[in-house]
Amino acid sequence: MNNYMGTLVRWGVLPVLLLGIGFVIYFIATRLRWSKRQAIGLALISPWIVGFLVFTLYPLFNSLYLSFTQSSIFGGSRWIGLDNYVKLFTTDVEFWPSIRITLLYALLSLPLGVVGALLVAMLLNNKLKGIGTFRTIYFLPAVMPEVAVALIWRWMFNSETGIINFAMSPAFNLFGLDTPNWFGDPNYVLPAFIIMSLWGIFGVNTVVFLAGLQGVPRSLYEAAEIDGAGAFTKFKNITVPQISPVILLQVIMGMIGALQIFTVAMFVRPTTGAGKFMNQLVYERGFTQMAMGEASAIAWVLFLIILVMTLLVFRSSPAWVHYESDVKR
Amino acid sequence: MKKRYSTTAVLLLSSSLVLAACGNNSNPGTNGGETGQSSGDKVEVRLATWAGNEEANELQAIIDELNANSTTYTLVQDSNPAEYDTRIITQLSGNSGPDLFWISAQRAAQFSAQGAMLDITDRLEASDHPAAQMDDYYEASLQPFTHEGQQFGLPWLQQPIMMYVNKGLFDEAELSYPDENWTWEDFSAAMTALTKDGNGNNPGDDGFNASNTVQWGFTLNGWPPIQMFVWQNGGEVLTEDGESPIDSPEATEAMQFYAELLNGPLTPSQSLIRDRGFDTMFRNGQVAMFMGGAADDLDSTVENVEAFMVPAGPDGTHATFADVLGMGINSKTNNPDAAFDALVDLTDAIHHWKIMPPRVSLGDLETLQEMHPQKAQSLEAIIASMEYARPYLYSEQYPNWDNVFTTQLIDPMVNSGADPLDLIPQVKPLLENAMQ
Repeated sequence: MNNYMGTLVRWGVLPVLLLGIGFVIYFIATRLRWSKRQAIGLALISPWIVGFLVFTLYPLFNSLYLSFTQSSIFGGSRWIGLDNYVKLFTTDVEFWPSIRITLLYALLSLPLGVVGALLVAMLLNNKLKGIGTFRTIYFLPAVMPEVAVALIWRWMFNSETGIINFAMSPAFNLFGLDTPNWFGDPNYVLPAFIIMSLWGIFGVNTVVFLAGLQGVPRSLYEAAEIDGAGAFTKFKNITVPQISPVILLQVIMGMIGALQIFTVAMFVRPTTGAGKFMNQLVYERGFTQMAMGEASAIAWVLFLIILVMTLLVFRSSPAWVHYESDVKR
Repeated sequence: MKKRYSTTAVLLLSSSLVLAACGNNSNPGTNGGETGQSSGDKVEVRLATWAGNEEANELQAIIDELNANSTTYTLVQDSNPAEYDTRIITQLSGNSGPDLFWISAQRAAQFSAQGAMLDITDRLEASDHPAAQMDDYYEASLQPFTHEGQQFGLPWLQQPIMMYVNKGLFDEAELSYPDENWTWEDFSAAMTALTKDGNGNNPGDDGFNASNTVQWGFTLNGWPPIQMFVWQNGGEVLTEDGESPIDSPEATEAMQFYAELLNGPLTPSQSLIRDRGFDTMFRNGQVAMFMGGAADDLDSTVENVEAFMVPAGPDGTHATFADVLGMGINSKTNNPDAAFDALVDLTDAIHHWKIMPPRVSLGDLETLQEMHPQKAQSLEAIIASMEYARPYLYSEQYPNWDNVFTTQLIDPMVNSGADPLDLIPQVKPLLENAMQ
């Protein structure tokens, strides 16, 4: 019992502390002549505000600060200005290959993933017998542990005994080519990861698209049919514009997810000749080389890449995303 | 009404702050905040290790005995092999680390340089404990725990790489077992004789079909380390002044030898190794010779297997890599004296538990045979290997150097069949840059 007393006390203190903060915020808000209703609201959300400040905002700015330092993980850091960034962009042998493979992976896997998920969702949107079972089956990838999936893929991609090379060997033999050494040959690492990413077509992405498709009013299709529209015209002029907000969501979320790939890469462990994904590099710099300043700098570069790419997608969205509210105006 | 609220708020806040202060009053150098708590006059010392279940049980038996005999400490074991390094780094950086912890040689060099481990030089000098006698240790085993002339930890194991040999396959091929005079030439000849295809042909024979190989002479996948071959050939990959003479004739020749082995047919391909398992192929009799640590159980769990010295270089130079593991004290522990007592007691106990103790006085064949009867047949070679076993040249910058060495040189050689002659000129400046 003694061993856990400290923890017990802290767990007891925490809610009391948060409650106290809530009361203080209420007190200050009322003194600032906020309405009672507003003050209570502010006090009630204060635990989340505190959580955000302590566990998100502080680490965020601390990592920004660390990126300008040469810091020991055990405490103590020395301000070195932009040196970490200069080193990354000029002399670091792993940085540019890492940017390259991460961006290529995101740019190539994203369209395949979005289009694939949309097509699967359209199939699942049909009124077929047993469609509920199909939908359940297609959702299964979402509940599979990522590590297990990575290990299965690694086995499937084995260049000598894997099922993928077994299935593809007739085609390679036809052209007199050796079957690929997927994770050993740097040229095949990216294609292997892109093929693995197709797994992400199923699961949550498909379900989100399916929900979007089911929200498209039937009357639009009926009107188009009366006007003689074919299947492709209906898809192009009704389905895509109607679900374009969902596509925007999927593109943004998919892009962020692809740029932050980590678990699969850590478990598959391909040759480093193709480069390491950026999050892998952050982890290895931070925890293997214990260079927290460099790790933070890489993390911030990744953050900026994600930010810029997200902004680009947002900026382009008025040209291709259709909101019903816009039409009404 | 307002006054009542404010009074309540002030009361609650102040009481919670007081409670919080109480809650944080536990020892920052502990895992549960309990170090410093007395059990009689004894102080609780928390020990973190990477031991798995079976190893942790054996360790606990040792700890129980130490606790029973100690008047100053009670050791509490916290063993978990999962992500050990990340866990210990996080705990230490968060001031919630254990008092004592197991540590690898590479990490020890980093931790001691960054002030995470307690300087125990004076305590060692003042102690007459057998485990505190520095002149009894193999010099190589102390290097990772020494920083700027000060001692920051103690090694409890120095494990040289040995060559495990399937004697049954040697007998079948009518080969004599390796001995201390074995050089790369003998090694290559044995590998050739022990590699055969489905028709029983060896490499070099007419009709040998490499794609139908069923038995290989040797196996490697980046392990054993290429450094060992460079040392055997009289070269170095890293010097104390931070140079990386990987372009010396000795280093180049050794790397070419390694690359030739990688490219087969005397060794299985990398994907086959990944699929069938590196040591599993040796255990299953598909590979005749395997290089592993002296503590590996290949000679005690696989029939007719014995550990021999690794072959010497072409001119007879003996060298082998030594994996060194040890223990250090958290520099922020509140109980440095008790932690030191526990450190030397436990280190000594582990020296009597594991192969190989890094102490010259414990390298006695008869004693070791009594302690480790399951490895009796291999012990003579293991003891002999201790004389020239050496770890890498660890330092604070070593992980940077190692990252470049592995990703830019070894990985392309192992996974892409790259020629070391092409890589060396590009990698050398990168390595030297990594040490700056």
